[in-house]
Amino acid sequence: MRALIAAATGLALAFALVLAMTAMGTPTGRTSPKPLLTTVPSHP
Amino acid sequence: MRRKASLVLLACAVLCAALAPLLRWYAFPRLARIPANQYQDMVLEARGATLLDYGTMRAKKVSGVTIVQTLKGDVDAAKRIERTAGRPVVVWDSLSYVQGPDGKMVSKVPERYIFDAHSQDPVHATGEMVDGDPVTRQGIEFKWPFLTQKRDYEYFDAQTRTTNPIHYKGTRTFRGLKVYYFEQAIPWTKVPMPKTMPIQGITPESVANTGTTRWYSTVRRFWVEPVTGAPVYGEELHKEELRGGTLLGGRDRVTAFAGDVKMREDYIEHTVALVKHNRTLVLMLTSYVPWGSLTAGALLLALSLCLEARARRPQDPAPTEPAEPEPVSA
Repeated sequence: MRALIAAATGLALAFALVLAMTAMGTPTGRTSPKPLLTTVPSHP
Repeated sequence: MRRKASLVLLACAVLCAALAPLLRWYAFPRLARIPANQYQDMVLEARGATLLDYGTMRAKKVSGVTIVQTLKGDVDAAKRIERTAGRPVVVWDSLSYVQGPDGKMVSKVPERYIFDAHSQDPVHATGEMVDGDPVTRQGIEFKWPFLTQKRDYEYFDAQTRTTNPIHYKGTRTFRGLKVYYFEQAIPWTKVPMPKTMPIQGITPESVANTGTTRWYSTVRRFWVEPVTGAPVYGEELHKEELRGGTLLGGRDRVTAFAGDVKMREDYIEHTVALVKHNRTLVLMLTSYVPWGSLTAGALLLALSLCLEARARRPQDPAPTEPAEPEPVSA
C-alpha cells in the first residue's frame, strides 16, 4: 500500500511539473520596433 | 530506515519515468514554438545577374543584385487571430526588397504569412496576402516544421501564388550539420506585375494596358536542418521575362531578371550558429531529457527494489554466548 502511495506521489509530481512548465509557456513578447528593411545590412 | 529510503526512491523513479513521455508528447508541442515576436533579416545575392534597364527596355549584365528579406512577427495580430483559431498562431510580415548594383530599388514585395506556431500549418485569416493580393496559402513557406521528415512537402510560391510540391532529394552534411536537401522547380508561369515598379510613373495597370505580361520560372533549393526545420542555406535559380505587348518594341520577350540567388556568407555563418543553438534546445525536449529521465527512472527503481529486498531479508541470529555452567551440587 505504501509503495502504491509513493508511486502515485511520483506520478502526481511529474504531471504537476510538466503542467507548470507548459502553463508558463513561451513568452510572446512584443512586436519588434525595427522596420522591414529597405537597405542592405552590413552584418547579421 | 531502508524501507523509507526505498519508498522515496520509488517515488523518484516514477517521477522520472513519467517525465519522459510527458515531455516528448505533451510538453514538446506546447513549448517548441516559433516566437510570435520574431524579427529576422536575411541577405541574398545574385552575382553576375541579368537585369532589365527600364530606360532602354533592354536586358543587361550587372555586377550583382541584392535581395534583403525581413520577417517580423506581429504579436497583437497573432493574439487576435489565436482567439478565433483556437491554437497558437504566428503572423509574419515579410518584405523582399530587391536592390540593383546602383543601390536603387528593383522591386519590393510585402507578404503576410499566418501559420501555426508549432506545426507550421497555414492559418487563414483576414490580412493574409502577397503584395496586397489576398491569398489562401496551402503548405509551408520560409520554414519547415519541427522534426522535418524525409518526404516531399507542399511549398507556397509567392510569385505565382500557388502551392507545389518541394521534393526531398536526400540527406547531406552542411557545415557540420546533418541537413535534408529539398528542391522545387516552378515552370514558366504568367505572374502579376509587382505593385511597386522601379520607375516612378509606371504602374502595373499602365504596363498591363500595353499588353505586356510578366513571366517567371525558378528552381529553389533548401538545405533544412531536420530537428528545427530551419533552412540553413538556400539558393534560387530565378528567371523573369516580360513578354509581348507594345512595351517591348516588337520583340517577343525580354529578360527582366535572371540570376543565381544565394545567401550571403556572413548570413550563412549566422544562421548555422543560430540553428545549432536552437537544435540543442529542441533535442532537450525530444531526446536528451526524455531518454535521460527514463534511464534515471530505471536506475532509481532498481535501487529502490534493492533496498526493499535488503530490508525484507531476515536478520542473522545474534551470536549466542555459551551459557555459564550451573553450579552443580553434589
